[in-house]
Amino acid sequence: MSVAQHQALVLAGVCLAGSVFLGILALSSRRTWFGIFAAFNLFLGAVLFGAQVVFGFSGWRSEVMAALLSELPPVLLISWVCLAQAGGLHRRTGALPAEAAAQRPRLRAVLRSAPLFLLLGWGFAAVVGLVWPSPAMQAYAPAPSQFVLFKWSISTVEGFYAGLAALVFAVASRSSAATIALRLKNVAFSIALFCLSAIAVESAIVAGVRLWGTDESRREIVQALLILEVYLAATCFVALALGLALRYTPVIAATFLRQLHTSWLPAQERFESLKWRAVTSGQARGAIKASHHIVEAANLRGFSQADTERALTTIQLVATMKDPSAERARITPEAARELYDLQERILDNDALASKISWASDWDSRIRDANTVKSEPLHDALKAALDLIDNREEQAEMQIRPLWYHLVAVSAADMGLLSPAMIHTRLGQQPEYIVAYEAYHAAKASVRSRTLYDR
Amino acid sequence: MLGETSGARLPNMIFNRARALVSSLRNLSASRSSEPARPMLSAEQFQEELVLLGLSGKEYGPEEYAEALGAYLGISIAVHVIPDLQYPELSHRLASSGRMGEIRYSEELGIAVIIVPGSLPSLVSVLTVLHELGHLAAGDLLIEPGGGLGNTTPENSGKDAFATVRIEHGKRLAQGFPFAHENLREREANMRASYALTAGCLGSLSPYALKMHDVL
Repeated sequence: MSVAQHQALVLAGVCLAGSVFLGILALSSRRTWFGIFAAFNLFLGAVLFGAQVVFGFSGWRSEVMAALLSELPPVLLISWVCLAQAGGLHRRTGALPAEAAAQRPRLRAVLRSAPLFLLLGWGFAAVVGLVWPSPAMQAYAPAPSQFVLFKWSISTVEGFYAGLAALVFAVASRSSAATIALRLKNVAFSIALFCLSAIAVESAIVAGVRLWGTDESRREIVQALLILEVYLAATCFVALALGLALRYTPVIAATFLRQLHTSWLPAQERFESLKWRAVTSGQARGAIKASHHIVEAANLRGFSQADTERALTTIQLVATMKDPSAERARITPEAARELYDLQERILDNDALASKISWASDWDSRIRDANTVKSEPLHDALKAALDLIDNREEQAEMQIRPLWYHLVAVSAADMGLLSPAMIHTRLGQQPEYIVAYEAYHAAKASVRSRTLYDR
Repeated sequence: MLGETSGARLPNMIFNRARALVSSLRNLSASRSSEPARPMLSAEQFQEELVLLGLSGKEYGPEEYAEALGAYLGISIAVHVIPDLQYPELSHRLASSGRMGEIRYSEELGIAVIIVPGSLPSLVSVLTVLHELGHLAAGDLLIEPGGGLGNTTPENSGKDAFATVRIEHGKRLAQGFPFAHENLREREANMRASYALTAGCLGSLSPYALKMHDVL
């Protein structure tokens, strides 16, 4: 067995071990597209190096072919990594570019060009190697100048792009916005790509030593470099496997967030804005008048600010949903129920519910003043849906807060809901009687004040 | 009487034909200036915009978004909340027209002013401001009057892609050109507002921000 075959045997073993590990990962839940691709690539590498050991080399051209085929796996691997960092795999995998690349359009363009230049370099080396063959697989033999051209045309491009990708991963690993798992993952990938880049540099140095080195120094230097190559290859595979094994699952799933973007926020905005429009333009029948009475009654009964807000939002919602134009704006009881269910789902997700918030007014810098839970719309939706539900036949036994009864009295008084239905459902409850008395006292007070003002 | 009627009909006919010709010429020029179709903005593309604004993975509010967008576009953006008690006619006018706010933009002066009524519910107010900022980010306000295809029904040119308008001047944050149809521009501004609100609330918890640190 020649030195080159011995080296190929060691590299085939390392590739095989790497491909088995990544193959197991690919069968587990930690599967990624890159993991599958890397496993396949390493297996291809193991087969190619193995073939060199088994079949040997029958001439310089076959040596060149073997060297070219051995370069294919790293060329494909580096191309994939650079494309992924540039966001070039976006359409197929739904991936985003690395933040460092997204910030720098030029870097992104360079990364995107990796597959083209790597394949061009490989193609150029193939032409040089096949036109002017050289002892590509004889590790210690002196080499002609065309061997350096053959070797450098691949290794310089590989070294450059692998080094660049390692740098991008290193920048990502320093980002404070990422979690520790992701930072470690980027460190691992950075080490793997740095090792690939170092192997390319080492391989270029070997070519130079074989051309310019003296007989005594050549063997010694090349031997040391080949040992270094094995260590670098092993480190590269270990780091790659570690990076692929480290997996981070976001606390908030993108699919759920997509539902927020397309369903919850538009629906919540539609309800809130139509309520505002109906009240401001005076379209919501009786809502403005009812609001005055409710505020007065709430003051009489000493309601909290939150309960008053809930009562006002509920009466506005009832008025809006009863408005004939509401159907056109898709403000229907079904839509309200759907919105309420979505809000419930958000509230079930603690991480999301605690994060989604907005300032109560523009000048306020305190953003968590309003959340899905604290917004009066959540309770008001439930109350409004309960009130407009046409269950006339039996009296309700469920205990409701006083603000709910106040809205019921007000909605019946303004003709938004059937007074008979409200009385049948809620009339037996003591809170209803309290709310009824408070509302009518408030109404009388508002009326007498208006008369006095006139 | 009959002669009078037919005499009045002829200029009317010529006028109508001329109007139809002008309209079809306008449509032709609009379709010529249309760029290749593109789909609606995705959450991933918005995330890339946030990187350019320096807001990726950070918690921010509409003020910070407006500030960052203004700095990127090189313009000054002001948001005015109008107290309804003093100017009730503004709220009434907006409410009657079905709008929540307005934006005024001068490319020459490099100024954008957003006006929203103070009585808007807090969530609507935030989303309205972000919606108007979304128009600025998309470059919708750079379209010359009559430059797009107005409020006509957009044609889906396959793969959910729609026609755009080429803009040669001004700066915008979006990668693609603005949509030719007004209702699509409005829809996209709504999407941008939703994305901006959730991304600003979630900060480093945003799965899209995390995806940029997990490319393999």
